[in-house]
Amino acid sequence: MKKYLYVVKTQIITSMAYEFNVYGNIIMQTIIMITSAYFWKALYKGRDMVGDVDADSMLTYVIMSSVLSVLLITNVERRIERSVDRGTVATDMMKPINIFGVYFAEDIGNILALFFQNMLPIILIGSLMIKVPAMADIRDLPLFIISVAESFLINWIIAALFGMMAFTAFNIDALIQVKKHLLRLLSGSIIPIWFFPPAVQKVLGSLPFVYIYQLPLSIYIGRGSRAEYLSGMKIQFLWLLGLSAVFFYVQSRVVRKVMVQGG
Amino acid sequence: MKKALNEFIHYLDVTAHVIKMAFMTIIEYPANIAGWMISNPLQFIMGFAIIKFVVESFGQINGWNYGQLAFLYGLSVISHALSMIFFVQGWFMGYFVIEGEFDRYLTRPLGVLYQFFFTNINIFGVTDLIPGILVFIYGCVKCSVSVNLLFILQVLIMLVGATLIRGGIYILLGSTSFHTGSAVDFGQYTQEIMDKTTMYPLSMYPESMQFILTYLIPVGWISFYPVSSLLGIEGRYNGMMIPFVTLAVGILVMLIAGAYFNTGLKKYESAGN
Repeated sequence: MKKYLYVVKTQIITSMAYEFNVYGNIIMQTIIMITSAYFWKALYKGRDMVGDVDADSMLTYVIMSSVLSVLLITNVERRIERSVDRGTVATDMMKPINIFGVYFAEDIGNILALFFQNMLPIILIGSLMIKVPAMADIRDLPLFIISVAESFLINWIIAALFGMMAFTAFNIDALIQVKKHLLRLLSGSIIPIWFFPPAVQKVLGSLPFVYIYQLPLSIYIGRGSRAEYLSGMKIQFLWLLGLSAVFFYVQSRVVRKVMVQGG
Repeated sequence: MKKALNEFIHYLDVTAHVIKMAFMTIIEYPANIAGWMISNPLQFIMGFAIIKFVVESFGQINGWNYGQLAFLYGLSVISHALSMIFFVQGWFMGYFVIEGEFDRYLTRPLGVLYQFFFTNINIFGVTDLIPGILVFIYGCVKCSVSVNLLFILQVLIMLVGATLIRGGIYILLGSTSFHTGSAVDFGQYTQEIMDKTTMYPLSMYPESMQFILTYLIPVGWISFYPVSSLLGIEGRYNGMMIPFVTLAVGILVMLIAGAYFNTGLKKYESAGN
């Protein structure tokens, strides 16, 4: 455990090193957030409720979606691709430490750094320029935190699984893009899927993506009842279990494959 | 004059070879080809589907109906695809600066900016182009535009201009790496912002933002103004000359970007020493 904490610490320091990246990211993310806010304002012009949600909640949704997107940044797929490409994966695996544990610790470290560098500024700018993103019902806060934690894990495991394809495909730039688009459009991060036709909603409800963005955000803006949140979180938890099982299985296979190649 | 012509022919010759090499590189990784073939069309099909769903929920977007939005979206995707083919390298310029990759280009007797973009030409951009063209044709049919010679000329001119504007913006953003000394991959953000500002009518944003997006960061000229004029939608700028303005803006942005790149290149130090 201590070893991994050390990795987390190193990663925080590395992430802090580039000031320009930080400001650049904040500016870009703020522009995206504000354009989204105006997008919804224009759509809601002269309407109260569309899809059980009013304009005000939709703005909260936009701000919190930007905040959540910072938390859901993963680097693991690029890391695996690079280490396979450069062949460092063999030496990495010889170290007395689980390589995927290191990647996980690195992503955690990165997010801890981003918490102050990006998340807080985004909430601040959002509150000043759009509205204060207050939670609809503060009593649901524990549910929100748990579902965010689960969505973080699901998101990380999906990223790691895509990354592990590098062991067989070698170049996975395109696959990373596929994953990115699937996640962007099917998770409700840009447009909540409750605006989609019912049949499409049903299909998307059976995929893991909506449990990454839309479920925690729905809890936050208070769309639906507590019973609905709980049943959603149950499915979310099942996805987490299922994906973890796949992850550990694939991981053991991948490690064996590398061992064979190494002689 | 003859010398300039010879040089131009030489550049064309090099370009032909480079495209051939690009083809050979992409077939090296079959899984990658399959990935791009799925990834890029998927992105735009889903993006277009989302517009449809939004229009179904809300009726229209700021007065633009579904057909008009398809027309706008299609043209926006086509110019995006063209900029991906020729200028996507701008997104990764930071890494070239940090890793000292420009050394290689500086030692060769060709323009650095030319080499930077054209020795890394991105054939996969074609996979963006096809969905764009399909949506555009769909939009044309929905809006029942009359296709004549002037229309085709206007569309082609605005596409050249729009591609130059996008490319210029990528170069400007990428060139900041020379001054900051850090590699930032703004590609994803740039694309997201461009998507939001070129695939939907600009008039839905407040006046102040429209002003910025028209005069300071001229993304309005990429699709919104020319499409408004092509479809005859009332707006800030109207008339059949608008696509030509787009071309002029594109050339201007490119010139500024080239100058900024060159000042950056003067500051460029190699990786090691």
